[in-house]
Amino acid sequence: MSKALFGCLAIAAIIVFIALIGGCAVAGSYNRLVSLQQKVDQSWAQVQNVYQRRADLIPNLVNTVAGAANFEKSTLTEVTNARASVGRVQMTLDPNKAPTDAAKLQEFQQAQGQLSNALSRLLVVSERYPELRATENFQNLQAQLEGTENRISVERGNFNAAVQEYNTAVRTFPTNLFAGMLGFQPRPFFQSQPGAERAPTVNFNFGSPTPAPMATATP
Amino acid sequence: MKKRLAFFAVVLLTAAVTCRAAEVIPPKPDRYFNDYAGVVSPAVADRLNTQLAQFERDTSNQVLVVVYPKMQSNSSIEDYTRRVAQAWGVGQKDRRNGVVLFVFVDDRKMFIQVGYGLEGALPDVTAFDITERHIKPRFRVKDYDGGLTVGVDLIRKAIRGEYKGSGRTNAERGSRSNESGGTAGLLVFLFALVLFFVFVRVSRRRGGYRYSGLGGPMITGGWGGSGWSSGSSDGGGFGSFSSGGGSFGGGGAGSSW
Repeated sequence: MSKALFGCLAIAAIIVFIALIGGCAVAGSYNRLVSLQQKVDQSWAQVQNVYQRRADLIPNLVNTVAGAANFEKSTLTEVTNARASVGRVQMTLDPNKAPTDAAKLQEFQQAQGQLSNALSRLLVVSERYPELRATENFQNLQAQLEGTENRISVERGNFNAAVQEYNTAVRTFPTNLFAGMLGFQPRPFFQSQPGAERAPTVNFNFGSPTPAPMATATP
Repeated sequence: MKKRLAFFAVVLLTAAVTCRAAEVIPPKPDRYFNDYAGVVSPAVADRLNTQLAQFERDTSNQVLVVVYPKMQSNSSIEDYTRRVAQAWGVGQKDRRNGVVLFVFVDDRKMFIQVGYGLEGALPDVTAFDITERHIKPRFRVKDYDGGLTVGVDLIRKAIRGEYKGSGRTNAERGSRSNESGGTAGLLVFLFALVLFFVFVRVSRRRGGYRYSGLGGPMITGGWGGSGWSSGSSDGGGFGSFSSGGGSFGGGGAGSSW
């Protein structure tokens, strides 16, 4: 009698133990997914932060540059237009959540890329205005812009790392069995643009002459 | 730890893809002021080192100066130095208040990397002002002692008011905070404990002590070994640097001379 009772108890205890471990595992990976997703959203907020920082710098930069004697107007309008289109794309995005739609992210990236190009063109053109480059105001703006571009590349990298970790967790066994059911879908990340692995090409030295296509055309 | 490793793997991978160059992340320095290029007089180096150690005691900010002969990377200086500073973990983990002034003598380049927590106190414009208008003119005439003294002074002045220190450096405190084992592990441990008592009860009732061999020491011992790893201490000492795990987001500025 006591032997049977002992056996029953032991088996029951083991079953309860296994069930609890299993429950813990599912709950644990659910919590892990939630926290990874939070991290993705958080790093997305950080990405938007640094892009916003750049957008905020632009009016100041444009004003400073426009003050220089007969500065090329076309490059300035290009920057202003690119900034406006970035604003339009941003309106369509949920600010608190990383995009779940790859096309949306692609659009965002394209608009920001255009702004990057317009800005670097502006800086290349400013190469031809030495008295502008000599002003403290312009130098400070340039330092800020460079710092912002650095931050953008860092935060994009952090965002991609967070997404990668999250996607790995969503797609690997055994989490993949229930991740979809619980509403965890893989997220898109930044693709490096063809021809521009490092988004900010705003690397300019005061000393060395940059190969500006326009500058070479002039005799 | 795993997350960190993964992060570094990604960073290294992207770095490898984008610049395809051999790159060396130098080992973590053990002092605040490190002159690997031999351009600074020992007296000045000692004085600045003492100042920076005292600065951490007063403010908890970790400010490092490293002078190398050459940059061991084909990547850009702002990108490379950020990764180095991040790898060293300069600054306290919760405040992220590290600053590293990198100087590459043969390349005639320098960069101030500013941790996340100090980007407000030491914005890019200020960092640029320090390197461009205060250090650079002195470096141009090979006055490395003067340039670095001014640079360290200005950095300290800029970030002094931001945080309060504990009166001791990380190295003097000895060790960093331990990492906890997580709640899932704790739950498993509790259930194992309950199970253990059930077994003890049952075996008692049976009159035998057969299961006492499964006893506490084995289980708790295993737990104690794996769960609570002791924090790594980099060895204490007066004026020696021990990282707090700070992080860097690309803030700062630099100049070439």
